[in-house]
Amino acid sequence: MGTRTTTIASMLILWAMILSIGPGAAQSVGPAHVIPNSLRIEHEEAIEQLNALAKHRGAVGEEARKLIVLFKRHHAREREYILPPLTLLPALARGEVTPDMRWALEMAERVKADSEEIYREHTEITDACNALRAAAVRNHDHVAKEFAEQAVADSLNDMELLEPTVLVIGEVLRSKLP
Amino acid sequence: MSRSVSPFVLAFAAMIASALLGAASANAQNADNGRQVFRQICSICHEVAAGRNRVGPSLFGVVGRKAGTEPDFHYSDEMKNSGITWDEPTLDRFIAGPRGVVPGTRMAYAGLKDEQKRHDLIAYLATLH
Repeated sequence: MGTRTTTIASMLILWAMILSIGPGAAQSVGPAHVIPNSLRIEHEEAIEQLNALAKHRGAVGEEARKLIVLFKRHHAREREYILPPLTLLPALARGEVTPDMRWALEMAERVKADSEEIYREHTEITDACNALRAAAVRNHDHVAKEFAEQAVADSLNDMELLEPTVLVIGEVLRSKLP
Repeated sequence: MSRSVSPFVLAFAAMIASALLGAASANAQNADNGRQVFRQICSICHEVAAGRNRVGPSLFGVVGRKAGTEPDFHYSDEMKNSGITWDEPTLDRFIAGPRGVVPGTRMAYAGLKDEQKRHDLIAYLATLH
């Protein structure tokens, strides 16, 4: 009797779980959306390089470890709601707008709402890159110096291209979705 | 025919000359310190050579330049339309907090809070002509 009750309860829980991951849930803003592969690779490579720099002796390793924390926090935000809408670009470029793209509109609105916070995150990354670069120069560490310089250029890429593109996607969806 | 110059006038002239030399020397010292500040903080994004734009525009000739006008550098609309001409007070405020002066600027820098360092940095930037 006890076993049967447990089995039924388990089935009910399983059913509830299946319902909760139905189409409605999949369209909500959440971690379920992927990001463009090129950017996923870029994130992975940046963390890989930073992990290697973190093993360098002294100040370079120390500053790299601080930067890892900031990068991971920023990447998490990007994966959550900044970068997923970019996966719609090929479809939008073909002129396709479908109701199941609404999740991206919600993300774009969040990017707009959080723009000052996102900017602040970039400024913190710049400061940390500066610290890493200064340590690299003192220690004649060309790899760390180049990484820091590339990282600030990547930050500009985010602000100049990626984040505005997400806002454009939001505007396209807003104007075309019923 | 020749008239002798009063010792008081000579002393006064010497004081003025000394003050001017002292000021010039202090300014040179500020600019030297400012070069270090530039190297530590700004050079990750900016060059001082004319026409060499990187993540940020070249800072050659920035003092006296109209904001958003360095050739071949893509500025934000906010910067282009700011109406600013970079002089010491505006640079001081901008370096202390870029978005406080030009909301929407893409310069991802929170600001240099140390007043003396800003002063030195601007003294250095003023030498870039």
